[in-house]
Amino acid sequence: MSDLPPAAAAKKPQGFLPIHTNAFDRVFIAVVVFVAIHLFWMRFVEQDLSLYVATVISVIVGAFIIARG
Amino acid sequence: MRPQSVGWLFLAPTLFILFVFGVLPFIYVLVVGFFDWNSFAADPTPRFSGVNNYRELVFDSGYLMSLWNTLRFGVFAVVSEIILGYALAQLFMRNFPLKGFFRTIHTLPLMIAPVAVGATWRLMTVPGLGPIPYYLDKWFGIDFLISRYPQQAFFTTVVMDVWHWTPLVTLTLLAALSSMPKEPFEQAQIDGANRFQTFWYVTLPMLKPAILSAVFIRLMDAMRTVDEVWMLTGGGPGAATRYVGLYIWRVVFPKTDYGYGSAMSLITLYLTIVLCWLLYAGLVARRDLRRTE
Amino acid sequence: MKRDRPALSLAFWVFSSLITLFPIYWMFVVSAKSRVELFGAPSFIIKSFFSENYWATITNTTYQGFMFNSIVIATSNALLVTTLSLFATYALSRYPLVGKENVFFWTITNRMAPPAAFLLPLFLLYTQVFVVGDWKMFDTRIGLILLYCVFNLPFAIWTMRGVIDAIPHELDEAAYVDGAKTWQVLFHVITPLARPGLAVTAILTWVFAWNEYLFAATLTSVHARTITTGLAEFVTVTGTNWGQMAATAMLTLIPAVLFLALVQKHIVAGLTFGAVKG
Repeated sequence: MSDLPPAAAAKKPQGFLPIHTNAFDRVFIAVVVFVAIHLFWMRFVEQDLSLYVATVISVIVGAFIIARG
Repeated sequence: MRPQSVGWLFLAPTLFILFVFGVLPFIYVLVVGFFDWNSFAADPTPRFSGVNNYRELVFDSGYLMSLWNTLRFGVFAVVSEIILGYALAQLFMRNFPLKGFFRTIHTLPLMIAPVAVGATWRLMTVPGLGPIPYYLDKWFGIDFLISRYPQQAFFTTVVMDVWHWTPLVTLTLLAALSSMPKEPFEQAQIDGANRFQTFWYVTLPMLKPAILSAVFIRLMDAMRTVDEVWMLTGGGPGAATRYVGLYIWRVVFPKTDYGYGSAMSLITLYLTIVLCWLLYAGLVARRDLRRTE
Repeated sequence: MKRDRPALSLAFWVFSSLITLFPIYWMFVVSAKSRVELFGAPSFIIKSFFSENYWATITNTTYQGFMFNSIVIATSNALLVTTLSLFATYALSRYPLVGKENVFFWTITNRMAPPAAFLLPLFLLYTQVFVVGDWKMFDTRIGLILLYCVFNLPFAIWTMRGVIDAIPHELDEAAYVDGAKTWQVLFHVITPLARPGLAVTAILTWVFAWNEYLFAATLTSVHARTITTGLAEFVTVTGTNWGQMAATAMLTLIPAVLFLALVQKHIVAGLTFGAVKG
């Protein structure tokens, strides 16, 4: 859950995410994406590629979200 | 004059209880989810197993089915409740005698324990006793037997949920409707808008926050429904009404497979939070975004 | 708006009320009939009130125990939650605490959690971790009383926040100037003014605790079982004693219905988490 962004913050230029976020929101989204990628990977990809690949991808995506979201 | 320490002292018992009974279980489930731990197994000691529980989980068709059914149940129930609740709220806006009395009656289902609601609907639908199967058979020749037909069982749980919770939506929207300003409606009438146009361009936008919060609260509640459905159908027939809470409680829990159960609890919590957050971000935040631009 | 037609509205509301009330009425009908009378075509008229269903539950010592537990748990929980929420909201409202809005927000998010996800960890904690010597928190009333705080405290804090914030700060400032101690301000200035809010909070938390089933069923076995678990046992164990089940269900919903009249206007605010003021 994220708090409502204050109106002042909403006017600032935004990252690529479709909503206004603060640092906490982005960490939260990164964690959500991290788990989602792993679950998806275990279901569909792990037979072919190790789960560590998913971890690497998630960390990169997560870092990107936190930095640029 | 007002030292911080005294303030925190007042908050301390609350935070302590919430931590011990709210956060601690969460941490516990997070840790146990990575262990292989079954008290009925040959080796009942916890043993670290990495993400094996989660590996098993994503292929657990029973669990995935229960998730899908829960979602279906939530969507059917909440959509019906919003439509019905809105209609009733509009009707409550008119003037008629005994308004308060009728409102009290329509509040009644909200106060009843979910278990008792389930018991009530069980009595309504038990073959050979309940009026619903009797009259459906007599008047329409429908063979109504929720212990045999999955679709009937599913929709009976939806109807029960609608009966139980539509009043909440009604009263929510009624409060919102009563606090709406009159001017936009008068303006719409002057501009010659018909009823549908008034509804679509005036009522709906103003009512949106209330509708969204009703959807939000109801969907969250519907996703965690356990007691009522357990009393009504016991999760059956087969797995037709075995919603995710029931699945954890009645299927995984008795197996004492603690590691796997923890993983499932955690993923259920995860999915609830994600759904909650997507609703929030997708519906509520976007509205605020548009308003500030 | 167009012309109101009261007669038509009235007719509709009578009809709608009948639908709302029918399931409950039907349960009452079943509870007031003997097993023999229940066979055959459903009849909605009670010819003679068959009170044995009620007596069977009321005189059953097991069910007396369930009732007693439910009353003790719901009452203790309501008192505890109301008191703690008064303290907490007073702190949140009057003290310049760092990050208090975050604390407030975190507090209320506790309510969103799906109970089923917490069953297993709580069961393990209650049976294996919260253990002192021979004593386990599993199957104790205090265990349920404290646990119910997790979903009742957020609600109570949300409700009480508005109540306490609405009390003018000048009143307690004046009392402080007169040399009153903190606890005197809290009990002699704030509490009397917050009494209606406290009453609503107490009643609704009482009903929520009374109605709770899932945790009561999982975290108790014999000594701390509540009436809702007793009601559920009619379906899972005893099978088809519908009359007595209906009677027990009626007994379960009586207190809730009695309280309905008192807090009718506040129920929505309570259930929607204050998203709407009723």
